[in-house]
Amino acid sequence: MSRVYKFIFTKLVILIITYFIALSIAFVLPRIVPGNPVQSLIVSLASGSLSPELLSDYQRRLVEVFELNKPLHIQFINFLRKSFTGDLGVSLQSYGEPVVSLIARHLPWTILLLVPAIVTAWFIGNYLGARASYKRGSIFEKVTIGAGMVVSQIPYYWLAMTLIFALAVLPRELWGVDLFPPGSAYDPVLQPSLTLEFIISYLRHYVLPFLSLLLPSLGGWIISMRVIATMELGSPYIFYSDTLGVKDKILFRYVLRNSMLPQVTALGIQLGFVLSGQIITEQIFNYQGMGILLTRALGVRDYPVIQGVFMILIATVLLANFIVDFVYVLIDPRIRLGHRRD
Amino acid sequence: MKRLELRNVRAYYRLLIGNREADVRAVDGVNLEIRKGEILGLVGESGCGKSTLAKVMLMNINPPLFFKGGTIILYTRSGNSLEISKLNREKLKKDVWGKHVAIIPQEAMSALMPTLKIKRIAYDVLRSHNPDISLDETVSLLTKRLKELGLPDYVVDRYPFELSGGMAQRTVIAISTLLNPEILVVDEPTSALDVSTQKLVIKTLWSLAAKGIIDSMVFITHDISVVRQIADRIAVMYAGKIVEVAPTEDIIFDPQHPYTRGLIDSIISLEPEVRKRGLRYIPGQPPNLINPPQGCRFVDRCPFAKDICRKKEPPLIKINNDRLVACWLHVKG
Repeated sequence: MSRVYKFIFTKLVILIITYFIALSIAFVLPRIVPGNPVQSLIVSLASGSLSPELLSDYQRRLVEVFELNKPLHIQFINFLRKSFTGDLGVSLQSYGEPVVSLIARHLPWTILLLVPAIVTAWFIGNYLGARASYKRGSIFEKVTIGAGMVVSQIPYYWLAMTLIFALAVLPRELWGVDLFPPGSAYDPVLQPSLTLEFIISYLRHYVLPFLSLLLPSLGGWIISMRVIATMELGSPYIFYSDTLGVKDKILFRYVLRNSMLPQVTALGIQLGFVLSGQIITEQIFNYQGMGILLTRALGVRDYPVIQGVFMILIATVLLANFIVDFVYVLIDPRIRLGHRRD
Repeated sequence: MKRLELRNVRAYYRLLIGNREADVRAVDGVNLEIRKGEILGLVGESGCGKSTLAKVMLMNINPPLFFKGGTIILYTRSGNSLEISKLNREKLKKDVWGKHVAIIPQEAMSALMPTLKIKRIAYDVLRSHNPDISLDETVSLLTKRLKELGLPDYVVDRYPFELSGGMAQRTVIAISTLLNPEILVVDEPTSALDVSTQKLVIKTLWSLAAKGIIDSMVFITHDISVVRQIADRIAVMYAGKIVEVAPTEDIIFDPQHPYTRGLIDSIISLEPEVRKRGLRYIPGQPPNLINPPQGCRFVDRCPFAKDICRKKEPPLIKINNDRLVACWLHVKG
């Protein structure tokens, strides 16, 4: 078992190093983009009735409070130090609201949308792909693979807009039916609560963004699984078991089991892509998750919010990859017991 | 007398070359019988179609290979005869494979489902034929068989990759014979093993027959020195056809077909008569099986080729009490 612990330990060290590198990049990048947050805040205030003296005084105070006058590396160290105590600073734009509470308000919507979409796509896509490969030459294979090819190549954003047009706008324009709402996470007149009315509204708003994330990823899984499963089907152990009269049902289970293993790794890699797709999806559906929070913060260079969001996003992707590696150890005996041999 | 009979069996690979379909005649008109209680060696060089013939004997034929024609009849222990070349996949799977015929594939390690323990692999085989069997019953059956074959019983709890090459090969032998099939088709079982392990595997196979677990065996190899240790008769295959069948000693010491002679002459051997003769080889290449020569397929490499050899295919005829040869040199008149 010590080998497993060593494996986990190495992975953990790599994970932490990767995290800091990614975090540094996420910290530096917004700061080298021209313009600064204080400037854009001042500009928005200047349209009000504040006097120029008051404005410049205000600007100086802001720069001091947010430590924007200090060298970059000092800012970074301070940011890291504070973040360990759970303090991600306050937003420059949202009237001093703590970044932590901003994230807490947006994160659940993203998770509730993203995780079911990823998991559903993975299971259904892999099953369909394996089935298609097993039923080689059948109508089922042709339809599944054809559809998978098309759907997997559709860009997230285009599919999202097409879905809005076809299932929200068109029915309303043509027949006056509100089939699905075109955006937002729930009806804006309602308050998030556990009432039936709110849940129904939430689910109706959920369908389109969910589909726009699910379908492209589903297609990708179908295609890749078909390739892997076809290879497995041609392998000697399938021929051998087949020739000993092992039932087709069991053979399919063999293929599924062995082809799923590389797909578990692929899931971790895909996660990053789905997450970036999610940012655009939220934008299109005006869905109040982390994507919206990030794009708004980027627009006004709200450094603390950008840092905070990246901190969570990067951690999610890395952690998911780490868990995937670990799951691989658990489910593949060849990796788990690779050292035991007679 | 007979266990398995092949009459004019043909199986081709359909290939796409450019836009044209072409058939590779890997098994082309094979006549062969496997007798009750015998071990038949099937020898030939790489690409002669012997592994394809193994698949065809069992009727497990997958694209691009397809069954072109012929008859294969299985004679079971209980006295029934079954024309397996007429059965469909479902029927073969239910009534023939594993029960009456079984295979030992070329590479045992890759033939075992890699992510299951040996006992689970055996369990899947047994419960496919008998839905009521439990895992515990499987383990006791498998352990018994492993013991008979001289393997330690901890093998049941191992994954395939935890076994050595020779151990995996013998484990495959144990699993293949769990249902006591009449016929075992063994395809190059020793090609990936070192010489001492080869000996062990051959001993294991031989003890299967001696203990009556199986009745007849087809032992496929390119290595005549290996097959000589175990086979009662040897069939020589060349370019998709059987060219000579005879008892082992006759093939070794008195080969009649020019190809068999070429094969025997190319073996390094310490026996005096072979040593005196010296080592020879067969010049040239086997023919292209997409467009095989019209007459005898060995004609371009044969030192005794006559006119008729280029025009007409030699029939496989009986030249003395237990010897079949397909060569015009042996056709009288």
